[in-house]
Amino acid sequence: MTGAEGAAEPAVRTRGLTKRFRSGQVGVDGIDLLVPRGAAYGFLGPNGSGKTTTIRMLLGLVAPTAGTVELLGAPMPARGRSVLPRVGALVEGPAFHPYLHGRANLERLDAADATADPGTRAARVAAALDRVGLAAAADKRYRQYSLGMKQRLGLAATLLRPRDLLLLDEPTNGLDPQGTREVRALVRELAAAGTTVLVSSHLLSEIEQVCSHVGIMSRGRLLAQGAPEEIADAATTQVRVAVRPDQRDHLARVLAGLGLADVRSDGDALVAPLGDVAVEKIAQAVVGDGIDLLGLEVRRPTLEDVFVRLTGEGFDVAR
Amino acid sequence: MAPGGQVCVLSVVSGEVAHSGAMDTTRTFSPRARWAVPAVAAAAVAAAFVVPATLGASASDDLPSVSADDLVDRMANADRVPVSGTVVYTARLGLPDVTVPELQGAGPLDLLGGSSTVRVWSDGEDSSRAALLGEVSEYSVVRDGPEAWTYSSADDEAVHYVVDPADLERYEELSEEAAEPPVDGDLPTPSEAAELALAYARTTTDVTTTEPVEVAGRAAYQLEMRPQTDGTLVDRVRVAVDAETSVPLRAQVWGVGDDAAPALEVGFTDVSFEMPDASVFDFSAPAGADVREVEVPLPEPGALEQKHPDALDGAEGVTVSGTGWETVVELSDVDVDAILGAAAEGRLPKDGTGSSGADDLLDELSPSDGEMPALPELDTRALYEQLTTEVDGGRVLTSALLSVLVTDDGRVLAGSVPPATLEELAG
Amino acid sequence: MSLAEAGTVAPPARRGVATARLLRSELRLVFGRVRNIVLLAGLAAVPVLVGIVLFVTQDSPVAGQGPPFPDRVTGNGLFLVFAALVSCLPFLLPLCVAIVSGDAVAGEAAAGTLRYLLVVPVPRTRLLLVKAGAVLAFAVAAVAAIAVTGLVVGAVLFGVGDVTLLSGDTVPLAEGILRTLGVVGYVVLSLTGLVAVGLFLSTLTEVPVAAMASTVVVAIVSGVLDALPQLSAVHPWLLTHHWLDLGEFLRLQVDVPTVLGGLAVQGAWVAVFGALAWSRFTTADVSS
Repeated sequence: MTGAEGAAEPAVRTRGLTKRFRSGQVGVDGIDLLVPRGAAYGFLGPNGSGKTTTIRMLLGLVAPTAGTVELLGAPMPARGRSVLPRVGALVEGPAFHPYLHGRANLERLDAADATADPGTRAARVAAALDRVGLAAAADKRYRQYSLGMKQRLGLAATLLRPRDLLLLDEPTNGLDPQGTREVRALVRELAAAGTTVLVSSHLLSEIEQVCSHVGIMSRGRLLAQGAPEEIADAATTQVRVAVRPDQRDHLARVLAGLGLADVRSDGDALVAPLGDVAVEKIAQAVVGDGIDLLGLEVRRPTLEDVFVRLTGEGFDVAR
Repeated sequence: MAPGGQVCVLSVVSGEVAHSGAMDTTRTFSPRARWAVPAVAAAAVAAAFVVPATLGASASDDLPSVSADDLVDRMANADRVPVSGTVVYTARLGLPDVTVPELQGAGPLDLLGGSSTVRVWSDGEDSSRAALLGEVSEYSVVRDGPEAWTYSSADDEAVHYVVDPADLERYEELSEEAAEPPVDGDLPTPSEAAELALAYARTTTDVTTTEPVEVAGRAAYQLEMRPQTDGTLVDRVRVAVDAETSVPLRAQVWGVGDDAAPALEVGFTDVSFEMPDASVFDFSAPAGADVREVEVPLPEPGALEQKHPDALDGAEGVTVSGTGWETVVELSDVDVDAILGAAAEGRLPKDGTGSSGADDLLDELSPSDGEMPALPELDTRALYEQLTTEVDGGRVLTSALLSVLVTDDGRVLAGSVPPATLEELAG
Repeated sequence: MSLAEAGTVAPPARRGVATARLLRSELRLVFGRVRNIVLLAGLAAVPVLVGIVLFVTQDSPVAGQGPPFPDRVTGNGLFLVFAALVSCLPFLLPLCVAIVSGDAVAGEAAAGTLRYLLVVPVPRTRLLLVKAGAVLAFAVAAVAAIAVTGLVVGAVLFGVGDVTLLSGDTVPLAEGILRTLGVVGYVVLSLTGLVAVGLFLSTLTEVPVAAMASTVVVAIVSGVLDALPQLSAVHPWLLTHHWLDLGEFLRLQVDVPTVLGGLAVQGAWVAVFGALAWSRFTTADVSS
């Protein structure tokens, strides 16, 4: 699909990436990030969990205290010059010169790019503005933009040229629901076209809907990463068995016999972590023991469940 | 980085500087290596400024030695050669700082304290030029044969001195000996200072030579003169003389009070013996400048040969007591108020000071003796009071090399002696 | 244009070309900014004001008073250039240069645009060089603004003619203009040390005003130290000590060692603070 670097290389790989600030505080603590090519990677964590610092280290803005970074197979920051043109980034919100027009701001960034062709600059800037819906506001000063328009201009900057990897830090911050939907659609579209996208967010719902992979950060550590199903499996899928109240005790004995632990009651049903036990075995055993099965449900955990499970605290309260 | 990283650091430095930085390669070097760059830059800068100053410091090493007497003879008999260059004059006379060069522009008053830079040109005969440099200002003294100019850029004022027509004939005869019309507010040069020192060298003075020195990049012999008496403020005088041309390059005078640095120093920092362009001496008043014409008599022959206060003795109202270094000149009937009032306008009273002896002394002291610059430029009464201190029966000016006592009854005593000696003499 | 086919990247432009391209963009930024244009206009107003005041008062009793040059302006408009330059040199010029150089890196950091430039990517050394180039261009523009308006206003109000030097000698107008160019060039080069200091301070902070203010303070402290006779040993090394050596161009013979000496001190400041700025900027974490 892509060029010489080889598609087999992951888009992002870090090994033991650590940042200790001068204050002694550890912002990022030995994380091994792995973003496969073509993935839409959700980089999750509450505010202050180290996502932004990690992204800064990926881009060479901040020097790691320890560990290594590879982007598109090339070590960073040593190969930044050849790799970064293929990477689009939105880091901690958009930032442009307030007294320049939107278009002039993009033209400045493009002029700074040694690998960009000045001949096609005007066309590419116009196309990028168009793509994020800013064509009409192209000649307004950045200062006059709304928060959402600023965010879109930041996205447009990442689209000035074709990219192999997009690192989007909180791209929906400040957007209204409509804007959020548009960004989500854009990410989906880019990912579908083969661009690897890493989206960081502190909003779980955003990520769940678009991502093929997720990584969960908390307090500087990467708690889990992988496809959402894998992560969910790593946490606890629950089984919920509903029976008549008079058969509850019977059911509890049957479930215990199957090896299910931590059985607790939940309304008119019993709930237990599924573990290695197959669902169909539960159904057979319950029915076979003469219990009237009113309902059987497998509950896959939400990302929030996973997070709570991994950290022992709610997503929003951590930090 | 690795312990042996020193060499590696240096190669980073040179590579980086030469190619103005390739992120791809240099970002891999440690921050510590990068901080070595300013250290190296600072070291290189220091080296660039210090090394040339120490290089060639041995130019004076292989000079054949010369006795003091021979050196004095050489100076006295040297051919006058063209000289140009930059002279730095430093006075540490212990006087209060009365100059504000930014406001006044360059003028002879600067010479009372601190450092001044004078640029000099001389054709070796009867043309010379000296320019006292101020910050964006300049005070020039240009001599060309029987006429001379002073020009101050700050006041845009030129003074044109011509030899009294009555003396012109005598001037023509004297020109071999390079007679110069005296000028108010002259500027010191090493030659003039050396000339004065030599005059004293023939009196009660121990004259020796020191190790050869280097001045303005030239190998030079150095003469040292110590007064044989304790009664003077002068501890010793050193004159450095160019080994090749016998041109005095530097004169230094130490006061008895401070052995660390000379109280007065005038020397070349940069010298050339090429003939200056003739246009340098060709001065005429710029358009729009105030021009004052002054006719001056040539100095009497005695005074010309020896710029020495003895020459004044016998003049009306002047008493000279003591000899050599301890000489004290006493003037009587001086109207200090008249001088101060007139000086506020920047010139001497037209009718003199009221004492012909004082006029003579002012004439004698103001030109070219290097130690006593430019009385006429001393501006106001405030300055007078700032410079002097009240003593019993008058006011006294104390400096490292010269004391002046002005008594309330109108006498002025001056000499290179402690103020107490003057007060004693005044009685 | 499909992003999927986008793996290939155009071969990077040659280093010089890329730097020139960025410099052009940077110059547009510096000279397109209202604040900077106001600064230049303010500097250009100085000779206009001085010229008008001298014109109005030239026949009054107060004529001819004050600092070295103004009293000559009425005779020769060319001196308005020197009068304006000398009056701007102690404070206004350093202030304007400090504002622009202090803002160079810190301003981008404060706005957050620095991180986006770096991930474009712009190599940090190149960015610093371009910033330095743009600030220097501003310094040239600042001095030129004073000189050109000074010349024009002086010529209109007083006319120009042969030039009387500080030494009292008079040189033809053509040589006078040549010497004026020398002064202008010397003033510009005299500001390079301050530019380097400003750039370095600008890399230390994300608050542009702090960098600007401390750069101005450096210039002022240098001037204060220069006025203390007790420190005469360090005077020749001070940033501002040789600034007024511009007078050298108005003496009988321009003393080349003096001029080069002044420039060498600026060169030393540029070398040390340029290197400091480089070390700091290429090693600092960009976390704004």
